[in-house]
Amino acid sequence: MEVLLLFVMIIGLLLIGVPIAVALGLSSILFQLMFSSTSLGAVAQAIYQAMAGHYTLLAIPFFILASSFMSTGGVAKRIIRFAIACVGHLQGGLAIAGVLACMIFAALSGSSPATVVAIGSIVIAAMRKVGYTKEFAAGVICNAGTLGILIPPSIVMVVYASATDVSVGRMFLAGVFPGLLAGLMLMVTIYVMARIKNMPKGEWLGWGEIGDSFRDALWGLGLIVIIMGGIYGHPWLDLSPFRIYWKGGAFTPTEAAAVAAVYAFFVASFIYRDMGPLSQGEGKRPLPLWRKPVAIVTAFFHRDTRDTLFESGKLTVTLMFIIANALILKHVLTDEQVPQHIANAMLGAGLGPITFLIVVNVILLIGGQFMEPSGLIVIVAPLVFPIAIQLGIDPIHLGIIMVVNMEIGMITPPVGLNLFVTSGVANMPMMAVVRAALPFLAVLFVFLIIVTYVPIISTYLPTSIMGPETIIK
Amino acid sequence: MSSHYHAKGIVGGAVNGFEEGVISLLLGLMTLLTFINVILRYGFNHSIIWSLEVVLTLFAWLVLFGIAYCFKVTAHLGVDAVTNLLAPRPRKALALVAGTLCIIYALLFLKGAYDYWAPFADLPPTAGRWFPLGLDHSVRSASFFETDQIPMPDWLRFLEGWINYDERYSKLPRMVPYTMLPIAAVLILFRVCQAVWRIWTGAAPSLIVSHEAEDAVAEAALLNKDR
Repeated sequence: MEVLLLFVMIIGLLLIGVPIAVALGLSSILFQLMFSSTSLGAVAQAIYQAMAGHYTLLAIPFFILASSFMSTGGVAKRIIRFAIACVGHLQGGLAIAGVLACMIFAALSGSSPATVVAIGSIVIAAMRKVGYTKEFAAGVICNAGTLGILIPPSIVMVVYASATDVSVGRMFLAGVFPGLLAGLMLMVTIYVMARIKNMPKGEWLGWGEIGDSFRDALWGLGLIVIIMGGIYGHPWLDLSPFRIYWKGGAFTPTEAAAVAAVYAFFVASFIYRDMGPLSQGEGKRPLPLWRKPVAIVTAFFHRDTRDTLFESGKLTVTLMFIIANALILKHVLTDEQVPQHIANAMLGAGLGPITFLIVVNVILLIGGQFMEPSGLIVIVAPLVFPIAIQLGIDPIHLGIIMVVNMEIGMITPPVGLNLFVTSGVANMPMMAVVRAALPFLAVLFVFLIIVTYVPIISTYLPTSIMGPETIIK
Repeated sequence: MSSHYHAKGIVGGAVNGFEEGVISLLLGLMTLLTFINVILRYGFNHSIIWSLEVVLTLFAWLVLFGIAYCFKVTAHLGVDAVTNLLAPRPRKALALVAGTLCIIYALLFLKGAYDYWAPFADLPPTAGRWFPLGLDHSVRSASFFETDQIPMPDWLRFLEGWINYDERYSKLPRMVPYTMLPIAAVLILFRVCQAVWRIWTGAAPSLIVSHEAEDAVAEAALLNKDR
């Protein structure tokens, strides 16, 4: 009963415009002061330990930083060029290329809004130039951008893994096939729509352009290799005796993220040179390093580098402030044994796996209207996790279902994160974006049903590479 | 990509530069330390054992310090779908209520942060559950607690005399990383009060933004302006 009061209070605070983090934290603190013996000192400790005690969450700032360097450093436009070279000649080609570019950028970045901003700001303008309607362009990018949290790396997956103690590596692998499937479904839908409505198609620029654009984008794409190769293993040289062998995963996901961030900084400052001391501004050729060797040192302190660090730091702060307070709420819920009560109630009602998953879908779709995805996962995951285990649902599969639900939450009104971002990027009103996103939202719903009821799509890759999941067996 | 906060006056500019600098520096140090440790382990079979603990401490500092800054520049995320439907006057009233609640949160956090930190600094925490009712001298000092791995730098040796009864520290005392808690709490309280004042005077409409990419979006929107 008291717990119900807690949730009513949180929602009430959210609706009157209290920051999400404060709404979660203040409600939990007041609840603890009234109904339990926890001291305020313990709350402060919990907030401190949310960062200092969660090694997994440390991956978040690094992934944000890597993706930030990638978007300021001109990687997005090179990826878009490559995507256009590959599929631009199809009917509706530029839209399909937009989806492909979102998929590739999603593999560099862990956030959906970042993907929409990076790809959308270029592609939407380009699509309008060749005759697509603004609405169609916005709808495509708004939906394809949600792949940012499904295709690894993904900040939401890191949060889920941290909240439920499953491995981040497994979650990342589990996202690969669903991500490809979702992208493919969007592309096919666009192609069909394009054939019916006779949308513009680009010119086939030949294999040469594919090769050129690929070489140009290669440095950016190298980030995927570093993250995946670092976590899951890669070929490595042994000097004595000289041989090439397969070296198993060498980095933790957190380390892979840090290496990716440094790599992205080097690519952006010294190879693409669209930012940093070697950049000459928009449209001018950047300086070669030998003309300004001092750049090796100054790049670290250059205004662009500092700005990127600062922006990423700021984003980290806002996300972690929410997560830290969500963790306090999680402590309260666990102390009150809410997960057990819910589990008993649900199991007592004779709930099977299928109805349970529907319930999870509904909770997340509603919750996604009010909450930032990472915070919602921290709260909901511990509630539904024990039930899922008892029902024999694979925790990795559950994680992917939750992520896909978050994706849909990002593009459903009234409070879809991607809707806001797209309406800003495309400079059109929210309701217009909502209408534009609807047909593709239907596609994602079908995708959610497929992912929910065909667990093998998510579990095949982690099981075959990292062995069967151990938590339930 | 960044639209910077425009500070007023020389002092405001310096403070803003300092805050932005600290945030960038902490994140940069975290990244570099982690990266160097990976390289050392990978290439040279060597590792800095204190690296991880330092990085996690910097992570906590970054977030704690940054919370106050994000109140200053109105960067915290919230739900504005409902408040946007209201007329300006009730909207301002609700924003003031929300602001008051944030001040309460900041006050509670300040008491908690001090209470938690104080024993580690050989100081008495405050008594009372909600409201500080004097100092509680019965709590045992925890100033002898050290971090797990972080070495004790010599220039901090003066702490031994200050808080540890001249006992030697072999590792950095816990008090040092935890010091960010009360500092951050004071800063948060200050910035929240400022934010509420801005709402009161009508200089700002609310405490929140609806999504994390508002700055970047504003720039991107220029590309898609209707000509």
